[in-house]
Amino acid sequence: MSAMRVTDPARGQGAMRRRAVLQFLAALGVTVPAGMVDAVLGAAAAQPAPGSPVPRLGVFTPTWPDMVELWRQLSRDWAPLGIELDIQQGTLDTFVAQVVAEQKLPHMGSMSWGGAPDRLDPDYFISEMFHSRRDIKGGLNFGHYHSAEFDRLADAQRAETDVPKRQQLVREAQRPIVEDSPALILFHRDIIHAYNKARFSGVTPIFGNGIGFPYMPMAYMGLTPLTPRKFIKITTIYDIASLNPFLTPEIYNSTTLRLMYATFVTRDAKADLMPWALESWSIVDPKTVDIVLRPGSKFHDGKPATVDDVKFTFDFINKWKFPALSRVSDAVESAEITGDHTVRLKLRTVYAPFVANVLGYAFLAPKHIWENLPSGLATPADWPNDHPVGSGPWRYGEWKKGEFIQFAANPDFFIKPKLEGMVVMPVPQMESMVGMLERGDSDMLAWNLDMTLGARISKSADLEVVRTPTHGQHEVRLNLAMPPCDNKAFRIALQHATDRKKLLDIIFSGAGTVSQGAPITPALTQWANPDIQAPAPSIDQARAALKDGGFSWNGEGRLLMPAA
Amino acid sequence: MAFWRYAGRRGLHTAVTLLLLVGFMFVLFRMIPGDPTTMMLGTGELPAEAQQRLRVLWGLDRPLWQQFIAYALNLLQGNLGMSFYFRRPVSEVIAPMLANTVLLMAPVVILAIVIGVAGGSWLGWRRGGRAEEIGAVLALIPRALPVFWTGIVLLALFAYQFRWFPIGGIREAFFFPENWWQRLPFFDITRHLVLPVATGVLASVADPLMIQRTALLEVRHEDFMVLARARGLSGRAQRRLARRNAILPVLTYSAIMVGFAFGGQVLLEVVFNWPGIGRLMVDSVTQRDYPVAQAAFLMMAAVVVFLNLLVDLAYGWLDPRIRGG
Repeated sequence: MSAMRVTDPARGQGAMRRRAVLQFLAALGVTVPAGMVDAVLGAAAAQPAPGSPVPRLGVFTPTWPDMVELWRQLSRDWAPLGIELDIQQGTLDTFVAQVVAEQKLPHMGSMSWGGAPDRLDPDYFISEMFHSRRDIKGGLNFGHYHSAEFDRLADAQRAETDVPKRQQLVREAQRPIVEDSPALILFHRDIIHAYNKARFSGVTPIFGNGIGFPYMPMAYMGLTPLTPRKFIKITTIYDIASLNPFLTPEIYNSTTLRLMYATFVTRDAKADLMPWALESWSIVDPKTVDIVLRPGSKFHDGKPATVDDVKFTFDFINKWKFPALSRVSDAVESAEITGDHTVRLKLRTVYAPFVANVLGYAFLAPKHIWENLPSGLATPADWPNDHPVGSGPWRYGEWKKGEFIQFAANPDFFIKPKLEGMVVMPVPQMESMVGMLERGDSDMLAWNLDMTLGARISKSADLEVVRTPTHGQHEVRLNLAMPPCDNKAFRIALQHATDRKKLLDIIFSGAGTVSQGAPITPALTQWANPDIQAPAPSIDQARAALKDGGFSWNGEGRLLMPAA
Repeated sequence: MAFWRYAGRRGLHTAVTLLLLVGFMFVLFRMIPGDPTTMMLGTGELPAEAQQRLRVLWGLDRPLWQQFIAYALNLLQGNLGMSFYFRRPVSEVIAPMLANTVLLMAPVVILAIVIGVAGGSWLGWRRGGRAEEIGAVLALIPRALPVFWTGIVLLALFAYQFRWFPIGGIREAFFFPENWWQRLPFFDITRHLVLPVATGVLASVADPLMIQRTALLEVRHEDFMVLARARGLSGRAQRRLARRNAILPVLTYSAIMVGFAFGGQVLLEVVFNWPGIGRLMVDSVTQRDYPVAQAAFLMMAAVVVFLNLLVDLAYGWLDPRIRGG
């Protein structure tokens, strides 16, 4: 039977030719998104016969410089194991369309996950990336990890609202990930931002946010002008697409709009939860939450914000089922006014990250505006909302697409901004951003710098570089449905052959936290499991693991599949 | 009469070309894997049910031919549809970016043609001389260099080193003039224009220049030039006569230049952080924002096709031999 599996040589040759052409095109800088991954998959789908050489392993990686460097190192470090890699690069949209949406991962693929605020709750990196439920098209378990034990722990932590008990479950859930090794979680690269300290003081570096990202609005609240100019100019790489907070789930766009539309809760300077539009919240029982609106709150147009607006917000989201806010409508069944400032939320299911990820994401919407939209819209998400009115610390000023978005301070907010305003400018090139900061055309660089640029910026007396740890991560996901990655011994060997600290040193000059091999960063002490450790880097141990798993080597040192 | 038959035939060709273009582009963009909802799905922000709701809302669940008919009917009424990414009418998305691109590319095209015609005539008149040899090479060097490289060199020199010009952007957000010349109208936008326009002109001046030079070489030996010399026209008048008679090929070429200028210059726009249509086109393809991508490419193609039609008609009007073809 095994002979039947060998691909027809003529077809194989055709595939090789096509792949050679694609590689040639890729070398020229031409990426052929669809064909490329299919070609690798076609080659990988061939099942290696027992005892035959391990095939060249297909790798999909984004074109980013850090990823290119990562694979340059890994192909060198893994070569002593007798394996060869067939590395294909693609853009992020190719990765999303092929690997996530279509679940077409070759033998392995690398990705880095940003530290969005809702990923601070451990549920995201646990449930989304490794739960068997998310092994579906569009899910992030595209390496096809299935473990009943892990699923049970992941589900249990999600339904446990008692924090110490949940902590225990989250810690336990990370153990199977390290033991089964469905992924090589490498490191958590620090966020590096820079600012002009001669012009502004009071930066607030927050875990997972740095000093300049809009994810956590407290980062801007301490900024204090030192010169007559009372507004700060910030550069970043993205522009927003819309001013309508019901439209987009994209992290940068949605958090930028939430500077104007206050979320119910937010994260403080220590990245712990704190009330924002709310004065307080209380968990009545696992499926009932009372929220208390901050008394005296006002919208930017001067109208008071009341419990009517709170109830309206949840009803409105439930009525329209906005895709961008599906986590809210999926969680909240009803909202009832129970006091002058109190609204009782009934939840559909017990969901431990509710406060962090639902109340931290949903925002207070003014009823008097959203219930009076012009007719003829398929959904309120299609309304341009050219003059956003929220209740957050920043009021809308002006948005010129591709140029800037400007905010003015809201003196009515319970914490009054020390600035008069902020201007955020999208600049597509890092070099330009650095140049603008150095020349004084901008005051803060709020995009991920590397250490080389950071060192250059530090030479200017007026500029300061700030490093902040994050929960975002770099990983290599292994496709457990494809031999030899379906073999645990092989995966453990890769873990031993991967020196995380060395990689972090080489790629990011050591600016980051080395991973324990678990999806939660050790820097997040509340959720990390101090008792687990990734397999120690050692080529000898890697070879021993392979030998124990039945793998062997031929005369040329090429790795052979275990005999039948 | 013959001209109008010719014009009608060419008009029909143009209509068929455009129709094929519309169909081709509709299919082309949808062949890229992923759809606008997968791009929003991105890194797991949208669950599958929410994604499906979006597909239904945006009409992406219907068969392709139905989507095409809806698109074509809208297009006939001048409606370019709604952008998936911005959720605004496509015309609202494209118009400001197009205006920015015209602001940048109009001076580029005009300067390239004026300098090209003047320089090409000057070189052509000095055929065989040292000046011609050096001049032609000098014009061809920046054309051979990648436009982003030229841009980066100009930035390194005039923005970083001498600090005469800004690093990029179309204007400074909240610019406060410090003296009288900075208070002049358009001061800020002009200083932002200098480097990208210079880069664009350097990259594109060689084509009109070399075309004009070749045309002038041909014209110089025409009978009417011999006659002009015989009539005792001054050297300057002779050059002027030759220049005017040699300009037609450059005008043909400028139709193509204008067409491509409408598509913006992606590299120029990225290097100088210019919010123009070129970057919008690239972004809309990446974001699978089909309506915007289709409209932008269609606009660029339509400009080229129409300008070609105009040039053909002008030729047919001027040269009766062409109408027979």
